[in-house]
Amino acid sequence: MNNTSLVIKREYLERVNKKSFIITTLIVPIVMVALMAVPTLIMLFAPSSDKNIAVLDNSGLILPQLKDTDDVHFFAADAPQDEMLSNDSVYGLLIIDRNIVANPSGVRILTSNTASAPVERTISDQMEKIIQDEKLKGYDIENLDDILKDVRTSVTVRTIKVSDADDEGEEQSAALNSVGGMMLNFVLYFFITMYGALIMNSIIEEKGNRVLEIIVSSVKPTQLMLGKIVGVGLVALTQILIWGVVIMACTTLILPMVIPADVMADVQAINAGTGSPDPEAMGMDVDVAHIIGTLSNTGYVAYILSLTLVFLVLGYLLYAAIFAMIGASVDNVQDASQLNIIAMLPIMIGFFAAMVIIEDPSSTFAIILSMVPFTAPMVMMARVPFGVPAWELATAICVLIASVIGFIWLAGKIYRVGIFMYGKKPTFRDLARWITYK
Amino acid sequence: MILEVDRVSKQFTNHVALNNVSLSVPKGSVYGLLGPNGAGKTTLIRIINHITAPDSGSVMFDGHPLTEADLVHIGYLPEERGLYKKMKGGEQAIFFAQLKGLSRRDAEARLKAWFERFEISSWWNKKVTELSKGMAQKVQFIITVLHEPKLLIFDEPFSGFDPLNAQLLKNEILRLRDAGATIIFSTHNMSSVEEICDSFTLINKSENILSGKVEEVKRRFAKGRYDFTVQGDATALIPKLMPLVESSETAVLPMDRTLLSVKLRPEVELRQAIEAVNSSANLVGLNENLPTMNDIFISAVNEANK
Repeated sequence: MNNTSLVIKREYLERVNKKSFIITTLIVPIVMVALMAVPTLIMLFAPSSDKNIAVLDNSGLILPQLKDTDDVHFFAADAPQDEMLSNDSVYGLLIIDRNIVANPSGVRILTSNTASAPVERTISDQMEKIIQDEKLKGYDIENLDDILKDVRTSVTVRTIKVSDADDEGEEQSAALNSVGGMMLNFVLYFFITMYGALIMNSIIEEKGNRVLEIIVSSVKPTQLMLGKIVGVGLVALTQILIWGVVIMACTTLILPMVIPADVMADVQAINAGTGSPDPEAMGMDVDVAHIIGTLSNTGYVAYILSLTLVFLVLGYLLYAAIFAMIGASVDNVQDASQLNIIAMLPIMIGFFAAMVIIEDPSSTFAIILSMVPFTAPMVMMARVPFGVPAWELATAICVLIASVIGFIWLAGKIYRVGIFMYGKKPTFRDLARWITYK
Repeated sequence: MILEVDRVSKQFTNHVALNNVSLSVPKGSVYGLLGPNGAGKTTLIRIINHITAPDSGSVMFDGHPLTEADLVHIGYLPEERGLYKKMKGGEQAIFFAQLKGLSRRDAEARLKAWFERFEISSWWNKKVTELSKGMAQKVQFIITVLHEPKLLIFDEPFSGFDPLNAQLLKNEILRLRDAGATIIFSTHNMSSVEEICDSFTLINKSENILSGKVEEVKRRFAKGRYDFTVQGDATALIPKLMPLVESSETAVLPMDRTLLSVKLRPEVELRQAIEAVNSSANLVGLNENLPTMNDIFISAVNEANK
């Protein structure tokens, strides 16, 4: 076994055997799956508590036409106001003025509970339609009821992305892509900062307790640095692979189990491109169907995960080199926190730019930032769910690989000298000089 | 010669760390590397350990130019030394031994033997944070010698050891020398140099200002210093001796004896001084007064700094 692999092994085992690593690795995917699944499941199953609304309709026009929804029930007020309000099973008392058609603001809810936006929306939506209908009736149009029935329409916009490779096109939902982009952006940001800082701190620690002095008599500093970067990187990979497997297992195995068969059939229809998702018919929101559909599409998830892996590895290597330079140039964590900004600033720019870019993922700004190596990992991953042309991906990856090689070479130079420098904090001129040392 | 350093220079941004330093370390000896703080000793040791490269000059190891492959034949115990705090003693020692090219099995077997020898077997599974400084030093010493290197470099090995353990360490160093290893020993403790070093080099301000065998250098620095011990009355002796010496000191010893420590004039031979003493007093003892390494260190460095 050569020395670099010994260093890699040590760095890897030391971290993977830690209790904190094992705990984080097991808990996070559970939390993530829960975060993804819970809103979906809530939307599907959990009825919010039913609200009974007593209606005191002085106009006599509105109440007969109010329709109960899943969680709001209307009934005619049958008791005095005080009694109605003190009754726990009654959410509130809706009072409608007699000339409501002429004066649409003549409506109010009395309640002893807190205000509820969905209830207000349900009532105002329904009443707007009823009052519109009443007004239309005032014009004495023939067959008005039939006309109204015909006029009622519900529109759901679906974006079909037409790619060169796949003529059938791929159904997209901007909302879902944004969420996906945000999540990937966050994953990249999280891994690069967490594991990059880990490299930096571990170098500072080795330097601080002078174990370095012993190691370098057997291992070249550059080998040591590479071993550390690779070892810690493998820890990150182990973690993300475990997370990936758990998440994919959850989405392919568990999702179909917890979601009712008829919903799944609709979802599969969407995936196959044959379904004509009609929210009313399916009894659920079209976005929910998309989320379930996308998550249960194993091929798509694997594509995203493998791209994530590529950008994660390259982004990690680039920033690990930068963090290693910082760690080698300082003596203690306090000094490091000042220099830290050199690494953190571009990461933050990438992270926040990616959040903006999600709004318009094919803008020139987005394309440029996804090519610049420092921001590419975050920005590109935020764009990937929307679909990125292969040549852009290839260019970004090539630029990143070249930068990784350059920065690791640079870091090796600085590391080799920096680890023996104690006491004074180096200036940038010093750092430049170190690069030229033999 | 196990190690030959030939006109090695190394310059850093604002100062010269080594200027044309040459030295030769004979096989099987204990070689002292001495010098004030900041003289360049650590830089030289790092060059020998292939950690930094010299700007000019060459280093020969066992007859060939030093390469990275020779590192497995070198053991280095730095002055500033540490261990991975959260790693267990035994596991850590195995890691370092593997870095020096031992197989895991060999490393484990040898380590067990060393741990028993130092009576520290119970530390095998203890994390370094649980060990005292002296304990950690013992583990570090074992790590340094475990791969049975041809050349051992100890930088202030005794710091942090109590006298008992320092003695144990000293004996181990001499035992390693007797087993054929060569030892380079860097220290500020001059009495330990006298005890265990055969030869030494004194580096001051990046330059080699004094090299040689300890005994030879001492004699060279003695320069006509002698201690005469006489029995009985010495008053007649003083005027006779005075013209021959540059300086003298007298001390009264018990049993009616007098000690005269003199430094002879350069042109005066010892024989003449003995005759002068013999003619006027009862000479009972004569010693060449060799300077201590401490004296040599101070006078050589002061001389060089003039």
